[in-house]
Amino acid sequence: MRTTIQQPNSPQNGETFQFKPELLTLSRTWKPKAEEGRLRKMIFVWIALAVIVIFFMLPIAYLFSTSFKSPVDVVDGSFFPNAVEAENWPRAFAQVPLWSFMRNSILAAAFSVFVTLGVAVMATYAMLKLEVGKSFLPDMILASYVAPPIIALIPMFVLMQKLGLLNSIAGMVLIYGLMNVPVAFWLMRSFVLQVPKALDEAAWLDGASYFKTFFRVTLPLLYPAMIATGLICFILSFNELLFAQAMTFDSDSRTLPVGISLFQGERRVNFGQMAAASSAGIIPVYFIALFCQKWLIGGLTQGGVK
Amino acid sequence: MAKIDIINVQKYYGSYHALREVSLSIKEGEFMVLVGPSGCGKSTLLRSIAGLEDISGGVIAANDQPVNDLSPQERNIAMVFQNYALYPHLTVRENLAFSLKIHKFEKSEIDRRIKLAADMLGLTDYLSRRPKALSGGQRQRVAMGRAMVREPTAFLFDEPLSNLDARLRVEMRTEIRNLQRKLRTTAVYVTHDQVEAMTMGDRIAVVNKGGIEQVGTPLELYRDPNNMFVAGFIGSPPMNFISARADGHQAVLEDGQVVTIPVKAHGDISIGLRPEHIFLDKLEHHHTLKCKESRHFDLGSSLQYFFDLNGTEIEVSASGDVRSHSGVEIQIHFDPNDLLVFGADTKRIR
Ligand SMILES: Nc1ncnc2c1ncn2[C@@H]1O[C@H](COP(=O)(O)OP(=O)(O)OP(=O)(O)O)[C@@H](O)[C@H]1O
Ligand SMILES: [Mg+2]
Repeated sequence: MRTTIQQPNSPQNGETFQFKPELLTLSRTWKPKAEEGRLRKMIFVWIALAVIVIFFMLPIAYLFSTSFKSPVDVVDGSFFPNAVEAENWPRAFAQVPLWSFMRNSILAAAFSVFVTLGVAVMATYAMLKLEVGKSFLPDMILASYVAPPIIALIPMFVLMQKLGLLNSIAGMVLIYGLMNVPVAFWLMRSFVLQVPKALDEAAWLDGASYFKTFFRVTLPLLYPAMIATGLICFILSFNELLFAQAMTFDSDSRTLPVGISLFQGERRVNFGQMAAASSAGIIPVYFIALFCQKWLIGGLTQGGVK
Repeated sequence: MAKIDIINVQKYYGSYHALREVSLSIKEGEFMVLVGPSGCGKSTLLRSIAGLEDISGGVIAANDQPVNDLSPQERNIAMVFQNYALYPHLTVRENLAFSLKIHKFEKSEIDRRIKLAADMLGLTDYLSRRPKALSGGQRQRVAMGRAMVREPTAFLFDEPLSNLDARLRVEMRTEIRNLQRKLRTTAVYVTHDQVEAMTMGDRIAVVNKGGIEQVGTPLELYRDPNNMFVAGFIGSPPMNFISARADGHQAVLEDGQVVTIPVKAHGDISIGLRPEHIFLDKLEHHHTLKCKESRHFDLGSSLQYFFDLNGTEIEVSASGDVRSHSGVEIQIHFDPNDLLVFGADTKRIR
């Protein structure tokens, strides 16, 4: 816009430049329609994003604010506490062994991710690329994924008892690790399918065994997908309550969700402390998600084919 | 290096009969081209040779040893895929070294072979790049190099040039052919482009509907096709077919014009005449047919005419400059010895 009116050395007439108001209006109408449209679109996108973010953040903000409320304020229901009761946080940690719970949760979730990926990545590859089990196995996996977890609770409990893994982190690692395999299969599926079959075939013809082909060619291409899948499985395990509640009995193996639920049980519910414990429980997950973010974005096959 | 014998090979995909009793002998060091329309089974045959498809019947043998039961890993065959199938996470050098490392070659030998291949293919400056940082032609060369360093018994190519632009394709044809001549490695090359087949192959196998129609040198197929399919597929522009009724050496066209044919035939026939064998200026021994011009294109170096003969379009590539108008009656001339005659069963009558 400025360049249209500020051309003092304009060669057309050689005169000194004179400001002409109609030029300004002209240049204003000259502004491309598309740009205006884009601006409107941006504003819309930002508003929509803001609404969505607020929608999802509100409960967390409320939780965080509740963690600073006195019992009276909690009942009152206002968004902000009338008086900040910072005591909730140290008391929450004093009331139950939150640090142990958190450690147990992180250990159970982290190791379960290795179990899940160890099984699921190879299984996905075998089923989709080597067509082991044709369409039957994938369908089975979907079926087991659809079933409500609670129906597995009693058989799992008995199995764990027989294995002597009740009330242990190892037991929870095993349960979570296997429980998340169907989820991981369905998450990994599209990534595995994106790796062209010709790559495997090229490796076979190059003399690589099926295992070498998997480990040297396919697996490196699946790292980003595995990090994404692992993260989701970690969160699922970290947040799991049903099995943890049934199979862990003391602070050496209880996980954070179980720990938080303990605030409900004894005598009266202290919502402020419970909120503090919950807020603390969210933090590790968020940090891990933030930390993994840069690996989640990344090309998968990067031009090896075509 | 090896000769490859394909004997009565059958392939079913479920109930679909993809290869019907295919037999083909590929000589040691030969460049064999498989050409045919889309879906005719070229890739299936090639992949069967590689061991990537299990065949349902017949024998595939290398140097008279059946390889049916060998896995792809054991066949020591190198394949260049249509989409190159380079390992995207490895550099060019690592791509080339992949199979050599698997086979536990000495480091010095690996380096020697990579250097040789890189020099030959002009890849020396790109050895530390990843495939995504290469152009289509360079990727193609890496794929070639990966096949080459292994010194395999045979090269298999599955339409390796179809992702390149027209000009690069012509360049790479020559390059692949020269490379194969130098290395003297048996090669089987799949394409659906008959020009590629004609320019590259020592011999060509024309594949159609899961079977081989004819095998021969490019000239044999051009001059002496066994049936209408081969006659129509080989040669560009494609052969014209004129239907007629024959009685001995005389053939009568639908509009009553009479043509003398070089062989004896009876009943319904198709007369094949190549566009390049039709002239607009008459020579002494030429026969003449009357038809109407429908359209023409000026290609600069030559003119491409289409004439209408009893509703059949006849293509003519002529240098003669008869710029007539559509609908105008015109005479075309040809040497009757250039005519090919096909029976109602589409087989050649000799
Ligand atoms: N895995 C498969 N399952 C079922 N049918 C198949 C399979 N692979 C190929 N076919 C069929 O077999 C026939 C031959 O396929 P093929 O890939 O060999 O053709 P092609 O000659 O290579 O064709 P193109 O030039 O298009 O590559 C086709 O009709 C195809 O549909
Ligand atoms: Mg094909």
